[in-house]
Amino acid sequence: MTEIDIALNLLDHQLLDKDGRRCGNVDDLAIEGDEVVAILAGPGYWPQRSRFLGALGSWLGRGRRVRVPWSEVTGIESHVMLRDEASAYGLGRGDDRLRPYIAKIPGANR
Amino acid sequence: MNKIFGIALGILSAIGGFVDIGDLVFNVAAGATFGYQLLWVVVVGVVGIVVYSEMCGRVAAVSGKAVFDAVRERVGFRAGLVTLVASEVVNLMTLAAEVGGVAICLQLLSGLPYRWLIALAIVGLAVVVWVVSFEWIERLFGYGGLCLLVFAVAAVKLGPDWGKVGNGFVPHLAQNNKLLYAYFAIGLLGAAMTPYEVYFYSSGGVEERWTPKDIGLNRANAIIGYGLGGFLSFALMITGGALFLGHGIEPEHLGTIALGAEVPLGQVGLLLALVGILFAVGGAAIDTVFAGAYNLAQFCGWEWGRYRRNAGAPRFTLTWAILLVLAFAIVMTGVDPVQLTEYAVIFSVVALPLTYLPVLLVANDREYMGQYRNGRVANVLGVLYLVVIMVVALTAIPLMILTNVGQN
Repeated sequence: MTEIDIALNLLDHQLLDKDGRRCGNVDDLAIEGDEVVAILAGPGYWPQRSRFLGALGSWLGRGRRVRVPWSEVTGIESHVMLRDEASAYGLGRGDDRLRPYIAKIPGANR
Repeated sequence: MNKIFGIALGILSAIGGFVDIGDLVFNVAAGATFGYQLLWVVVVGVVGIVVYSEMCGRVAAVSGKAVFDAVRERVGFRAGLVTLVASEVVNLMTLAAEVGGVAICLQLLSGLPYRWLIALAIVGLAVVVWVVSFEWIERLFGYGGLCLLVFAVAAVKLGPDWGKVGNGFVPHLAQNNKLLYAYFAIGLLGAAMTPYEVYFYSSGGVEERWTPKDIGLNRANAIIGYGLGGFLSFALMITGGALFLGHGIEPEHLGTIALGAEVPLGQVGLLLALVGILFAVGGAAIDTVFAGAYNLAQFCGWEWGRYRRNAGAPRFTLTWAILLVLAFAIVMTGVDPVQLTEYAVIFSVVALPLTYLPVLLVANDREYMGQYRNGRVANVLGVLYLVVIMVVALTAIPLMILTNVGQN
């Protein structure tokens, strides 16, 4: 298997940051020549996967795009592991933005 | 000893958790229309849900993947997205039906106005999901649902013709009214194998942090829990057959279903039946609202799970809250929950193949599953059921139209 074959197996898999936090999926891959250079995550990459529904989803998700360099991938098991915290890549921002509001409600940490 | 106790607790909650408003409606209605003739279909449906929940529970224990992770990985982005949309629509219909069912039960128990009780039901469900831990949610509703065992006592007390009951377990076609018979068969299969059950079951395995060590627990839960849950379905159908067949009574109201326990057992029977229905349907409302939030979060890659705490998975939390509000709006329109249930069950049948196929594929994946991948029995049954599901999915809507949603 070439590197691209391995990488294509990763398409649509869960990304986990260094603390095991779920922080997106592998929505697409950036490939240069025969080398995978980055993982592309975020609804902004959905229209290229599915024209109509993907575009709708992208619009709902405000077209956010995150590019994670391939060198940041530390492990590939049933999920894809990243070297650093999600926020270092700009991943999981939707959850981070919403958290303060949810956290204000009593019992949010139960 | 502790371990056996834990397994017993899990099984008990699986029994109580199996029956939801779809099972209540279709089993009693099938009994009222065809007597005990369709009992064999319940067996087919229960074996199907056992096979597939065992599989997706095993996948969750070994790989940490829940069903919708598998859906997107295996059928691809586009088909996965279509499955997501379809499953969310069906889930929301089911959730609304279950919420309506809770409100009807509360109304029968308290006599207060229905619309107030819808609001009370939604607030009650939201508070339970917000405050109570995953394990205790399962237990609370599972044990409460065990009150439905009153229908087993009722079925025996009604003195059915046991010879005819026995014949009902032998697969056969109807002599007359073939279309309606087929419609009920599909409804019973759909009610037993509803997709939300596998979404919830597999994500629940991740919630409870299953590891390969829990594969035995998973198997026991699926086989014994769902198996005995099927036993409750038999009791409901037998009660419906013994009490309503030939009297022209269609159980179009949840109260009529509870009559099945009241006639042979009096007030105590009625009370137990209503409490059992309340917990069974309330538990199913929570299963469906979680299933909707799990699916969306897994498709999008968001953090999810009650075990992450409410603030630890913000978009997941917001999703279930929005789903509850939408369900509230649907039930407040005054739509009849029993009718909504019929539509939800029949439409969910159409979404079954795209949910179950990826489970079968991932359970066979050597890379993730290693020594825990499907054995021959699981694969033979899995493929067999996939064929059944395909046939059922293709015929569900035409049959619904031809029989005028079972009115004929």
